[in-house]
Amino acid sequence: MTATTQPFALPRTFEPRPVVVIARKVIREASRDRWFWLNCAGFAVLAGAITLTAVPDHNLIGSGGFGRTAASLVALVQLVVPLMALTLGARYLSGERDSGTLVFLLCHPVSRTEVLVGTYIGLAGSMFASVATGFGAAGVFSALRSASADPVLLVRLAMLSWLLSLAMLGLGLVIGSIARNASTGLGMALFAWLAVVFLGDLGVMGTVVATHMPVEALFAAVIVNPVEAFRLASVVALDGSLDALGPVGTYAFDRFGDGMAYIALGVMAAWTAGAVAAAVFTFRIGDRI
Amino acid sequence: MIRVEHLTKAYRRNTVVDDLSFSVEGGESVALWGPNGAGKTTVIRCLLGLVGYTGRIEVGGLDARVHPKATRGLIGYVPQELGFYGDLTIAETLALSGDLRGLPRSRIGEVLGAVALEAEAGKRVCELSGGMRQRLGMAVALLPDPPVLLLDEPTSSLDVGSRRRMVSLLDSLRGPGRVLVITSHRVEEVGMLVDRVLALDSGRLAHECPPGELTGRLNLESWLHVVLPEAQTADALVHLWASGFDAHENGHGVLVGVATGDKLSALNCLSEGDFDIRDFEVWR
Amino acid sequence: MATRTALTGMLFAGALVVATVPVDPATAHGTAATDLQDLINAAVPGDVLTLTPGTYAGGVTVDKPLSLVGEGWPVIDGHGEGSVITVTAPDVTIEGLVIANSGNRLDREHSGITSDLSPRLRIIGNRFENVLFGMFLRHAHDAEIVGNEIGGKDLFIARRGDGIRIWQSTDVLVEGNDVANGRDSVFWFADGATVRNNHVEDGRYGLHFMYSHGAVVEGNVLERNSVGAFLMYSTDLTMTGNVFRSNRGPSGYGLGLKDVDGLTVSGNRFVENRVGLYVDNSPSKVDLYHRIESNVFAFNDIGALLGSTVARNVFTGNAFIDNVTQVASDSTGNLLDNEWSHEGVGNHWSDFAGYDADGDGIGDIAYEIDNLFMDLIGRYPEMAFFTGTPAARAVDMASQTFPSLRPEPILTDDSPLIRIPTLPMSPLAVESASRALLFLVSLGLLGAASAVMAGGRFRLSDPLGGGGAS
Repeated sequence: MTATTQPFALPRTFEPRPVVVIARKVIREASRDRWFWLNCAGFAVLAGAITLTAVPDHNLIGSGGFGRTAASLVALVQLVVPLMALTLGARYLSGERDSGTLVFLLCHPVSRTEVLVGTYIGLAGSMFASVATGFGAAGVFSALRSASADPVLLVRLAMLSWLLSLAMLGLGLVIGSIARNASTGLGMALFAWLAVVFLGDLGVMGTVVATHMPVEALFAAVIVNPVEAFRLASVVALDGSLDALGPVGTYAFDRFGDGMAYIALGVMAAWTAGAVAAAVFTFRIGDRI
Repeated sequence: MIRVEHLTKAYRRNTVVDDLSFSVEGGESVALWGPNGAGKTTVIRCLLGLVGYTGRIEVGGLDARVHPKATRGLIGYVPQELGFYGDLTIAETLALSGDLRGLPRSRIGEVLGAVALEAEAGKRVCELSGGMRQRLGMAVALLPDPPVLLLDEPTSSLDVGSRRRMVSLLDSLRGPGRVLVITSHRVEEVGMLVDRVLALDSGRLAHECPPGELTGRLNLESWLHVVLPEAQTADALVHLWASGFDAHENGHGVLVGVATGDKLSALNCLSEGDFDIRDFEVWR
Repeated sequence: MATRTALTGMLFAGALVVATVPVDPATAHGTAATDLQDLINAAVPGDVLTLTPGTYAGGVTVDKPLSLVGEGWPVIDGHGEGSVITVTAPDVTIEGLVIANSGNRLDREHSGITSDLSPRLRIIGNRFENVLFGMFLRHAHDAEIVGNEIGGKDLFIARRGDGIRIWQSTDVLVEGNDVANGRDSVFWFADGATVRNNHVEDGRYGLHFMYSHGAVVEGNVLERNSVGAFLMYSTDLTMTGNVFRSNRGPSGYGLGLKDVDGLTVSGNRFVENRVGLYVDNSPSKVDLYHRIESNVFAFNDIGALLGSTVARNVFTGNAFIDNVTQVASDSTGNLLDNEWSHEGVGNHWSDFAGYDADGDGIGDIAYEIDNLFMDLIGRYPEMAFFTGTPAARAVDMASQTFPSLRPEPILTDDSPLIRIPTLPMSPLAVESASRALLFLVSLGLLGAASAVMAGGRFRLSDPLGGGGAS
């Protein structure tokens, strides 16, 4: 074999081809990952269980029930999807580092940005599959149990859950790119999960008790949390308003009206963009491979 | 082909590569030689643009800092510790690598032939022996038919037979227009492969010479391969190091650097330590 | 009785008369009867005017006891001005008409049918289309409003008129009407009304009783209104077998009670409302007790919400099923002045965590609501914003784990029912139309999921085929 120097066109820093290759590789990895399928199955089973137990007696209560089912699904998503996405993002990148496959990728003519973006897209695809499986299963159970659910609502909730997972994946990748190894990454991801799901809200609750903060401040303090943005967007999608959420909900809906949904979507989008940008940044400046 | 000027790399306060300058011409093979921790792997990583550095690196006339992707496009790299996706097959691993480089799939068959892995193409990577993994690493590096090959300790984890095959493969890769950069802490293994040895010590270029001269300079002429029971190998290494020998684990025993005319001292050292010497041979 | 048949089809906007066929001696002296008002003017009390299909100009006044009976849905068109039919006489019957296009002025109460001093008015089986008010009856004692369909104007809800408004009229029967897109259906000073089997949807107050005593409200379905039914300042009311569903206005309730004395609420279903039942100062008299018995409260945000000073309501044999909050007080107080079990029969609570070792169907320990998060909402109403969050649940779990955090219970049911009591209720319609669609959409989601996963199975398996990069 003789070596030849090929005429060489300088590649741009960001090209779609390696991104697509890496994204597909990530989806392939996820599809072989035991944890991923465990998550998927767990989510589908819980979602299915909610739909199965939600309507105990049609004759007594009528067709309804899906509003309530959907509310339970929202609560489930709030807990499970951030956990899945954060740990997936954190574990994946630090796992690649641990196994040395990150070096394998990076010694190719690909940039770190391409590797990160490809990984993100691949994980986002995997999360889509997971969320769609969960909601699809819930919908199928619902239909078989003759609980009439609004299919549009089902799809909307699934998409909102996916959006939430996009923001959480971004955070997970930030963690993955700064974590020393996979187990550190997992620990940090669990802490981040606690923070966005519980500690943020509990902190605001504590502030309310301590200071009686004004409704505007309370609303602002809550909406910046992507998990809460997801919840509020879901409540708007389900109820058409936030009136079920007391004076702050009434304030928010009076003040912003239908814009409320866009604010919530905007918050999730901003978290997603910010987290991905931060992940690219930390991954690029990091010397660790 | 490769020009390195004032390369310095520090992790926190710890300077790993210190103001290193060297260059490699097209068609030349060089060894980066030095003990563990001399900075060999870091130099390779800087060449690949995997880590940040100060100084200047040119590969094929391109500034590696400005054009990291283009630089990596010119380089085939075999890392010391090979990281592959365990559940991909050999062929799939090569396909992934080829897709990342935008190469046609037909190249896969060619490199599989070159490293004699055609028969194992469908095997999953996690089922491979160390030697086969190393050959897969070579195949990945050779896939783009690159003008520069960087080989980080290509023989260190191999048994005797695999090593011999690897050395002959590497030898066959030398040629006009291709640069080989091989790191090793055992110059006797790469001596026959390279035109020049760059000896690194604590991140600095200690000396630069043809491979034949290195053993003389270091007063090392021979390597003694001592066959020991497997359970004693680790203790033997510690014992030898404590007595000032350059010793490494190797196959079924240890490999000890010995000065000319003083081969017995190593054996004496081992037998004093009550190690069970089964056999030995002298390597040059 | 003389019968005048006006085979008069008057086309829209004063078009030519199509046909006038006198079929009865009574019309012989009339020539071309082009106008409904002319027909009315020409009629004598007790006449039955049978209208044939066609469009008649509205804005008519019926000032003598007459029957206007449509055959084949003749249309009385108000052309967007004023009320379509005004009744100022007793014993008028209006039946089988399409009454359309009233004016838009709320302050003038433009209606499909408006009446004054019109006892025994019978409004039977008409269709009201695009009217501001459906009907506004004053002093219409013993009126019968049966089997009408009333569709309001497509306006913002506060600009709409009422589907049915009854004023100063006793013993009115309102039965089997469908009211949609109205504002309210209001009974002011309407004693002894019977409101039965009506369906009121997408309005503001499905039913609204003010100072109307002795009403019987049964078998109505009130759904997707802001408030299902609100009873105020009225006494001796009976609410049985009604369905309050999905009434979710900002301060919406399935059934709201304010200053009501003398009330029976039984066999009703409250499903998916913001608040199923809201009780404010009822009963207001200290010697009165209200029985709230054998109702279902299911899937509401709050099953029953009571003012903290409310007392003497007796809840027995009800089923509280999966309401986000089963029962709450609207401020910090408890609800212990009400009875949550009566003569050993409590209520079914879907979240009862007790047991029934002796198998008598009654829980062996009391059911208590001592929810810390709800207690916090009572003190800090802003906290309601966190309803349903994992953090709110964590607060409740913490209070269950550490008794020192546990608030005083707001209610205690000493005899909770283990099973949902058998309630004499007819099945509710199950909308199954969207099931097939739901099934398909869900399969679509599963399909999309597999498609994405399949995207990862790119053709690595036949790499030696020599094709280009995938």
